[in-house]
Amino acid sequence: MGIPKKIKKTLNISPEPIQGHYPTGYNGITTPYRRGELTDLITDDGTYLPKSVLHADLDGGMLEFTQNQLKTVTNGKKVNVIGRILTLQRWAEFSQTWKFANEDKNVELPFIVVVRKPDVQYGTNPALQYTIPNRKQFHYAKVPTWDGTRKGYDVYTIPQPVPVDIIYDVKIVCNRMRELNNFNRVVLQKFTSRQAYTFVKGHYIPIVLNSIGDESQIDTEERRYYQQNYQFQLQGFLLDEEEFEVKPAISRSLLMFGTDEKERKKEKRNMGKPNAKKVNNKLTFTGGVWAMTVPYNYKVNVSALRLKNVDSYSFTINGVSVDEPVMVNPGDTLQVTIVKQNPGISTLTLQETLVG
Amino acid sequence: MANKKIPITRISKFFSSEDFQLEQDVGMEWLHGDMHFTMVLFRVDKKLSDVDDVYGESGVEEIRYKPPVEFNAYVKIDPPNNKSYGGGLVNQMEPGNMTLGVYNKHLDELSVDISYGDYIGYPESETTMRYYVVANDGRVTSDMKHTIGGYKAFYRTIVCSWVSENEFKGI
Repeated sequence: MGIPKKIKKTLNISPEPIQGHYPTGYNGITTPYRRGELTDLITDDGTYLPKSVLHADLDGGMLEFTQNQLKTVTNGKKVNVIGRILTLQRWAEFSQTWKFANEDKNVELPFIVVVRKPDVQYGTNPALQYTIPNRKQFHYAKVPTWDGTRKGYDVYTIPQPVPVDIIYDVKIVCNRMRELNNFNRVVLQKFTSRQAYTFVKGHYIPIVLNSIGDESQIDTEERRYYQQNYQFQLQGFLLDEEEFEVKPAISRSLLMFGTDEKERKKEKRNMGKPNAKKVNNKLTFTGGVWAMTVPYNYKVNVSALRLKNVDSYSFTINGVSVDEPVMVNPGDTLQVTIVKQNPGISTLTLQETLVG
Repeated sequence: MANKKIPITRISKFFSSEDFQLEQDVGMEWLHGDMHFTMVLFRVDKKLSDVDDVYGESGVEEIRYKPPVEFNAYVKIDPPNNKSYGGGLVNQMEPGNMTLGVYNKHLDELSVDISYGDYIGYPESETTMRYYVVANDGRVTSDMKHTIGGYKAFYRTIVCSWVSENEFKGI
């Protein structure tokens, strides 16, 4: 008996990662790269700031979506799409349809037209709700500057975009059921997961299919034609570059101090961490005194630190003259002899450094 | 349809092409000579006009026109409309629609066509010129009313609605 077909005979014993982008599995780091790509799309061919997204841009995005994403072909011929959002201006309406008009200047069937409802409502885009009051500005980017002398930064801020919902009626007018079927198939395939996206100045704008309605003229004694209305809701947002702000950041800081000279405090002698191995010993020589002795019970290294009214000085240990720095052993007596510059009080500060 | 020429033999026992021409010339003599309602046609140059990419609209200064043409027509102007914006709050007294009857032959002689969206100036007085936009260019003249006894169409009925100066300023 042969092996059932469902049993796999060979197994890859050194499998590669399923997603080549994440060789060691998803690490949470690669996502920002994609964000960087999206930011590049937004700022492409422009300044560091995003470009305005206003009503006309969203209308253009919907028109482009209809022309490119809902492209319908019947009998090998593309169904014409009127390439403008129709408005009140009569001659403009006429001028945009003449390319596929007949001798009576009527548009030839089949064709698709996009009609925008003039009222634009506050949006339902879930990312943008009533969250931040008063058009507060938010940091968008810090951009380095150089004015020839100083380096600096400009801080770019933008407010929260305003969400808008725009309703479009995309109508197909035709004579044959198969043209309706083709367009219906394209729309339903595109909106299988409820929404599709158009691309407006680097932003992906969702479009939701609201409803499909039939407005066909099937009267007995009139001209007959099919007309179906696909109503879409574009969940966009308005981003107005007039609201953007660019402010210079700090490029040079000047720190100024003001002090009151009337109340001066003595400087603390031991600033910071005290050094336990170093001790200053101040010797004061009064009027007729020119020599002093200092006994030591520990081994220190002695040197003169500060002098006041002292012309010269010398050290002797046990009657033996020594040079500075003086190494004093326990039990030694250091004699300091000075020559004064002027009669009066003199001071000599010894710095004693403990050895060992 | 346009390339084939089919002889019209309708009512040929008592009406011919010569009769059609005579009737038409008599009518034109009366309309152009006696009535002499003169208007100015401003044809929009749809190629040279600066249009918006998305909407195809133009501002007042962005529309380009072909040279204005004077023409004659039978004129009927409806009574003014007393309308309002804002549910009766902003009153608006506007001229009514203007309906023109224009001989096809006259348009052929002038080598012009009146299209949907073109503008027409009508001198209401020595100092006032009203401007209208063509809302129905009457291009389809297949009904019997536009023919002489059913023989052939000889005029067009053009319906125009008044425009304000922020749409068209004229001359």
